Amino acid sequence: MNSVRLQHFLTRNTYLFSLLLLAILLSVNYSLQDNLFELRVLNNSMRTLLPLILLAVGQSVVVIGGGIDLSVGTMVSMLVAMLVKLITVESSATDIALAVLAACGAGMAAGSLNGLAVSYLRLQPIVTTYATSFIFSGIALLLLPRPGGQIPTELRRFYAQTPYGVPLSFYVIGVLLLLWTLIRSTRYAQYLFATGSNSQAAYTSGVPVRAVRFSTYVWAGFFAGLAATALTFSTGSGQANIGDNMTLDSIVAVVLGGTRLSGGKGGIAGAIIGVMILRVIRNVIFFADVPTWSQTLVNALIIIAALAGPGLFGLVRRMVKK
Amino acid sequence: MNLSSVSAGIQRSFPFVRHLTPPLIALLLAVLLFFAGGLVKPNFVNINQATNIVRLAAFLGIIAAGQTLVIISGGEGIDLSVGAVVTLAAMLTFRYTNGNNSLIAWGFVLSCGAGLAVGFVNGLGIALLRIPPLVMTLGMTGVVQGTILVVTQGEMIGAAPPLMAKWIARPLVFGLPGVIFIWLALGVLMWLLLNRTTYGKHLFAIGTNRTAARLSGVRVQQVVVITYMLSGLLAGFGGFILLGFSQTVFLQLGNNYLFPSIAAVVVGGTLLTGGMGSYWGTMSGALVLTLIDSLLRAMELEQAYQLIIVGIILLALITVYGRQRSLRQ
Amino acid sequence: MTLTLLAQGIVKRYGGVVAVKDGCLEVQSGVVVTLVGANGSGKSTLSKVITGVVAPNEGQLLLNGVPVQFPTPQAAKKRGIAAVYQELSLIPDMTVAENIWLTNEPRLVGISLRRGEMRRKTQELLDLFAGTTSNNLTPDTLVNTLPPDERQIVEILKAISSQPRLVIFDEATASLDRSQVDRLFELIRQWKREGMAIVLITHRMDEIFRVADRVTVMRNGQTVGTVNAADTTAREIVQMMIEGAAAPDAGRMPQSDTTAPVRLEVRGLRCGRLQRADLTLRDGELLGLGGLQGQGQTELLLALFGALPYAGTVILGGKPVRFRHPRDAMKHGVAFVPGDRATEGLLLSRSILENFLLPSWQRYGIIHDVEAARQDATTAARDLSLVYSSLDAPASSLSGGNAQKVVIGKWLLRRPKLLLLNDPTKGVDVGAKAEFYALLRQLTTQGTAVLFYSSDDDELLGLCNRVLVLQDGLVRDELSGERLTRQNLVAASMGTTHEQR
Repeated sequence: MNSVRLQHFLTRNTYLFSLLLLAILLSVNYSLQDNLFELRVLNNSMRTLLPLILLAVGQSVVVIGGGIDLSVGTMVSMLVAMLVKLITVESSATDIALAVLAACGAGMAAGSLNGLAVSYLRLQPIVTTYATSFIFSGIALLLLPRPGGQIPTELRRFYAQTPYGVPLSFYVIGVLLLLWTLIRSTRYAQYLFATGSNSQAAYTSGVPVRAVRFSTYVWAGFFAGLAATALTFSTGSGQANIGDNMTLDSIVAVVLGGTRLSGGKGGIAGAIIGVMILRVIRNVIFFADVPTWSQTLVNALIIIAALAGPGLFGLVRRMVKK
Repeated sequence: MNLSSVSAGIQRSFPFVRHLTPPLIALLLAVLLFFAGGLVKPNFVNINQATNIVRLAAFLGIIAAGQTLVIISGGEGIDLSVGAVVTLAAMLTFRYTNGNNSLIAWGFVLSCGAGLAVGFVNGLGIALLRIPPLVMTLGMTGVVQGTILVVTQGEMIGAAPPLMAKWIARPLVFGLPGVIFIWLALGVLMWLLLNRTTYGKHLFAIGTNRTAARLSGVRVQQVVVITYMLSGLLAGFGGFILLGFSQTVFLQLGNNYLFPSIAAVVVGGTLLTGGMGSYWGTMSGALVLTLIDSLLRAMELEQAYQLIIVGIILLALITVYGRQRSLRQ
Repeated sequence: MTLTLLAQGIVKRYGGVVAVKDGCLEVQSGVVVTLVGANGSGKSTLSKVITGVVAPNEGQLLLNGVPVQFPTPQAAKKRGIAAVYQELSLIPDMTVAENIWLTNEPRLVGISLRRGEMRRKTQELLDLFAGTTSNNLTPDTLVNTLPPDERQIVEILKAISSQPRLVIFDEATASLDRSQVDRLFELIRQWKREGMAIVLITHRMDEIFRVADRVTVMRNGQTVGTVNAADTTAREIVQMMIEGAAAPDAGRMPQSDTTAPVRLEVRGLRCGRLQRADLTLRDGELLGLGGLQGQGQTELLLALFGALPYAGTVILGGKPVRFRHPRDAMKHGVAFVPGDRATEGLLLSRSILENFLLPSWQRYGIIHDVEAARQDATTAARDLSLVYSSLDAPASSLSGGNAQKVVIGKWLLRRPKLLLLNDPTKGVDVGAKAEFYALLRQLTTQGTAVLFYSSDDDELLGLCNRVLVLQDGLVRDELSGERLTRQNLVAASMGTTHEQR
């Protein structure tokens, strides 16, 4: 009975291994960079990480549902362009709040396009979201042909604050994790995991698979809106391709965090940990004085090693069986 | 509405059209687009333009050859590292021939060797360690890019041998540049590989049903590794050839070919789920994509509109070609 | 509240293939109707129409006299119709409890799941099968760790959990062992008394006469008749199923030649569920493997074919071997015919030619000699009396019996010395079975050694002169000659021997 519960626990919490990996990497990082946990440094790091964290959370939802979204980065570009146009130095708090809402709404609309194509037209996710990324890129360029934009200084300060000595970003992450824990115990979550694990069986069981799949892409769009908000508050200005590179990072983060790419398993904690792992690896490389031109390679090799880890265990297990 | 129902409908009305396969449809579409260009821009339709388009499509087509194999192999097969391998091969040739015509063969060997090596690592990770292809090839992209930086130390020194430009990109025979002949030769080779070799039969088998394939004696893992090696090899070859066209090399050189290589395969009628497809289809797909690009350029639209239209057209193409199975039958 | 369901004139086409051309079925509360028919008769499709998984092209469903339509399985469920298939609706990564209550979870304030209550109610359901399942089957067990019989039980409980008014069991007993089947039938009788309407789709004659009130027979996509179980006999039902032709007489094999060389010797083979197997097989002999499903027979065959790792000794043609991959086995003249041809035996979307030659392409050169290949395939098709449109047609265009011919045909092309068969006639119709038996006889006459697992006792009795019966991973008995009787087969498959050796 105990081993069943243990197995159940390990399956439910796929991020444990990555958490361990993060802990190890953090210790290495700390040994090389002793101001790592200093408030100012920590806050800076988290402020720049929050957009990717939010994006990776949205990507997680899509991946758990059995899909993938290659347009999230360009969505962010498009929504940042939108925000930068809506928020000016004279914007009041209400204006800003409305702008953020509009961005999230627009993100959800963009996500709906993806959702419609993948779920109701039954198009393949990779090629479809690749196609829509062109559309979002184009819109971003239309909105913001040249880099620019300015936001009120108070807003940047707001984003950089550290209530009770803890960076704002951690509060956001805390809220996300809390919301996920609540959502995890709803029927919707069961539907989501069922759809990702075996959509045919889910359908036969009466799960509204098409609607569930559609919703995951809408979530991705919503989180792209949040990510764009964080990015705008962080940098204060925008350019049309600002988010484009975040897509692939969001996927790597989700996988590093232990979520299975084929769906049906995982959670948002993994995505959050995955993004942090990526950042810590970069820190370690920088502070270990790896020669500039070798940094990209070392970074990539470490990521491959992290990805290969679970695979190696599996291989050894299979060899032992023989 | 999807391709098979359109195809079935056409077959019913015009019985002689039984052989209208997706690659043929793509080819017809390409021809249509070419003449549509004439409507948009008066002197679009001429031999030079056609030659130019085929020349551009050839590079994409060569790079997409490996992608075709990987996608046919199934198991969510995809190779995201082709862009980086193209750049790597071009860089190696650029650097180590240094404009020296007598070293072209050496450049060729380096390019193909590097591609094979990358493909081998991809194959090992995917077949042995069971890492999903999307993730493995994505990770290798970083490794390849990192390798490029280490080798070049940030400086792209070297030169493209002038003989390559002469043989590949400039008119060679009947006013057609060499790359077109190379592409055609590759087309024939790929057809032979896919339809007349044991490897080809095994490839289609593992793309269709891996369990049945294994129980019929197909060494699935071997075929997977070989496929990714071939993909790397062809991408390396593509990068080598690209140097005949682009006299300079920069880090993003191959990136513009990565996703179009996937799109070309899909538009050509190869299923992303695997087990079915052809290289003729990819060739037609490359033509279609290149034509769309050229048309948009000819229309002199703002880049923003170009991007949006490309996205819409791609969506339209996938809607016709690539719909998945319904949950309810 | 009583319920009457009437399906009339149902037609279902899949592309060019007509699965059902005139399907009819009637069932009421408190009645058990069995739906029988050979493979391809359309009974599974008809049941899927009733439960909303598949949309009919024509025909109507009347529920208590009112026409209804079920665009989704959910719609059917809402009206109280549930179905139990073979593993079509379980989510592998979820627990037993989560699977049973999927879309029907007990909730707090209408939102969050009450896991404690889910566990409790699941245990109540599991208790219905208490004593027939292992200790591993608990509410929190992950479904992908369960063996087929327990998964089937979870499927059954899932259907029952919504307290349906009509339940359709589609071949639901195929994976269950004897005690589980007995318990299920007890429960069916109880549910019947409580007013449930039940449709039982089955291949097994004894099941019909154990629980059914009525029997509806389908043939070639049409319902050909309905009789009361009490008024009919097995023979009559079989006649309705196969157009009046007599049931095939497999005919005893001639006694095997005991002076023929030993082709295969197995000592102490261990593989997965198979704990220990020892056997000797001579050229030209047809050795049967019997016993209930999942007792290690499949593992034995796969191990011999090199498809599964194993411990123990295998001696083939006098030389010790250890195959690590099917291709190694093939090189030594071993062939394997799987039971599930759709998922294991055929590449359905590829051509018949490719399917025939998949194991053998190496023979045709580096650049294939297509003419030679086509020639060989055409000859093979002729030798098998294959019914097909063209070698280039996809394998999916073949009917069940012909598809199975291709599955075995691709091996016969290679003239194997040892042929392993894993329940190959499952779901093959009666006529094709007769041709299959003739083929096997021909092979043994030519000297091929055959090791043949069948879940059909009649087949074993009729075809083999020696049968090893497995139970719980061990060979419980070896039956031959006069001892090869149904009684002994059944006894051994239950783990006992009727008499001494």
